[in-house]
Amino acid sequence: MRFEDVGFGDELPACAPDVSPEAVRRFAQTAGMLHPRFFDDEAARREGLPGAIVPGIMSQGLLAALVHRWAPEARIELLDTTFRAPLRVGSKPTCRGVVTDLDPVRRTVEVDLTLANEAGETRVVGTARVRLP
Amino acid sequence: MAVDVAALKRDWAGFEFDRVEFPVSAEELVAFARAVGETAPWFTDPAHPELRAVPNFTTKYHGRRMWPPDFPRLSKTSVGFDAGKRVEVHGPLRPGDVVTARSSIHDVYEKTGRSGTMIFIVHRMEFRNQRGEPVATVDWRFLQQPDPD
Repeated sequence: MRFEDVGFGDELPACAPDVSPEAVRRFAQTAGMLHPRFFDDEAARREGLPGAIVPGIMSQGLLAALVHRWAPEARIELLDTTFRAPLRVGSKPTCRGVVTDLDPVRRTVEVDLTLANEAGETRVVGTARVRLP
Repeated sequence: MAVDVAALKRDWAGFEFDRVEFPVSAEELVAFARAVGETAPWFTDPAHPELRAVPNFTTKYHGRRMWPPDFPRLSKTSVGFDAGKRVEVHGPLRPGDVVTARSSIHDVYEKTGRSGTMIFIVHRMEFRNQRGEPVATVDWRFLQQPDPD
């Protein structure tokens, strides 16, 4: 994917990331996030959460991976994500992205990102500034 | 409990309160990339000559303390939560690098919505490599709801 191949409003191919208990445990171990709220429904509920939740930075990483699958040679310069609501471990989310701005001088594009659960409820929103070849 | 946000920002923002070094290994870079579903070999193959970190790899690092010493607690009842992360990537992070992370309070601001007043504290970590080159800036927006009066 080169800058010339991209247009305003282009949608990135959506993806369905794995947030199963095994996948979240694998991420949490590598990220050193060993809090029970990421593994244990009961412990999470005691904190007022709906059950075990996906770490925010895992969701952020899943959205970056969406951009890289769309444009493997892309360099993400800026990645800003807002964790609007908890994403449950074991849910079936979808990552989506849409191109909202293009800068032909810097050969960068802005991509709006969302991660929604299977009910279509947005859990994470974000933007990325992406430099393309 | 009314919170003087302007005073909080004036008194606490802009001062480094922690500094920690982290050595970066190929194994860590690859494990993080695979765990978020990356597939490109320059993120996932430990033997790739251009192996580098995914953009938000540095968000996994924590300092020795979350807040400056004596930073005021804004609520007796709420622990607050992680409202978002902003990562600006300045340069590549590669295996064998040693990054130094400097922590500061970058900003304090408030928003009022349906659920009342929310205070956002922006915790910044600035990462430089062993040559002093900037690698990344990570801003963590921590949301705290003050106790009602």
